[in-house]
Amino acid sequence: MLKPFRLLQPSSAVEASQELLRLGDQAKVYAGGVELLLLLRHGLTEAEYLVDVKRIPGMRDLGWNGQRLTIGACVTHRTLEDLEEVRTRAPLLAEAERHVGNIRVRTQGTIGGNLCFADPHADPGTALLVHEATVSVTGLNGEREMPLAEFFRGTYEVALEEGELLSAVHVPPLPAGWRSAFHRSERFYRPTLNVAAAVGGGDSQLGDVRLAVGCVGPRALRLEDLEQRLRGLPMADALRVVGESAAYLEDRLEPVGDLLGSAEYKIHITKVLIGRALKQAVGT
Amino acid sequence: MNTLETRTVNLTINGRAWSGDVPVEEVLLETIRNRLELTGTKRSCESEVCGACTVLVDGEPVSSCTYLTFEADGRQVTTVEGLAKGDQLDPLQEAFIRNVGAQCGYCTPGQLMAAKALLRRTPRPTYEDVATWMSGNICRCGAYVAIAQSILEASHTPS
Repeated sequence: MLKPFRLLQPSSAVEASQELLRLGDQAKVYAGGVELLLLLRHGLTEAEYLVDVKRIPGMRDLGWNGQRLTIGACVTHRTLEDLEEVRTRAPLLAEAERHVGNIRVRTQGTIGGNLCFADPHADPGTALLVHEATVSVTGLNGEREMPLAEFFRGTYEVALEEGELLSAVHVPPLPAGWRSAFHRSERFYRPTLNVAAAVGGGDSQLGDVRLAVGCVGPRALRLEDLEQRLRGLPMADALRVVGESAAYLEDRLEPVGDLLGSAEYKIHITKVLIGRALKQAVGT
Repeated sequence: MNTLETRTVNLTINGRAWSGDVPVEEVLLETIRNRLELTGTKRSCESEVCGACTVLVDGEPVSSCTYLTFEADGRQVTTVEGLAKGDQLDPLQEAFIRNVGAQCGYCTPGQLMAAKALLRRTPRPTYEDVATWMSGNICRCGAYVAIAQSILEASHTPS
């Protein structure tokens, strides 16, 4: 049984922002509800008002403008997993979405809710970082766009100011000819950690490389320094560099030991999964 | 705790129209069991993990424990009671019986509804399709092999 609340269903982003500013902490943004309703049920958060943002125009739209996919914040995980447009333009994202929760969570849950909740143990963000995705945030002063890498601040923390809403995620495809892979270690539904990799260039050696890791520390991160060192290496050398990257990974990822594994274990598995993802991406 | 707000909800439950004023915080599981008195749908983990409360909304599987009833306004809700046509069981139900796809039976309504959604979308699933789709429905008795067999068998039955 959920504690009683009132329901607001604004029909525009401006109206939603006004309500959120007026109500402050008493109001919570509600989209799919798969995370919020659990927190409310277990008393981990309270809400006198739910602000249902699904009726705001554009929130459920998904489109391709010739350069990037724009995904409304209330598009569900199932849509992203299934839609041909996503599978062809952003197969890495579609693959990550396949792993979210279970079939019911993916049917109800939204991409925007997932990103705003910023649970460190999540999948879509890791793939989106490799895509160099950006997010649109709307408030009373209009809309601003920022890299997802800056939107993620920390555990359950994102760069939304008071009264602001995440309205859309923009996903540029990987450069032509690049290949990608998403690997995940899991205990039941929740990822212990995940790795997204994308590689351009030939089979015998790596060309350009993008790597992102999620769940190890407070937020999903790109590994720019390691990417730099891997660029142009033959696969055997690349795997050796990855194998010797523990100190860098600890420094970059700030691993947190939890019920899913110790910090040391997570770093070890990160190295293993980066290796596998690189090998799969180049097709060896 | 007194309700602060109610909404009028018009929905279809197992093919029949239903209308009622429902508190906005009420979840579909409560509506189905308490207002509609259909007790096939089971309350269990209340955390979207186990699948015992699975029902279909417009043919798609949801955790009714964590689905606010007002969202079902104008939609078709199907519970395990809606599978049989009169005395004629659904091919899935027949297959579960033939294969003993249950032990204690508590998870079975959820297993059936999840399977129904799978077959609606993928009429001829592979074993891998079944295993992936059904991984969100827990059977603590461990009848998984018989459940998967039942679903595969039902998928070969013309309905």
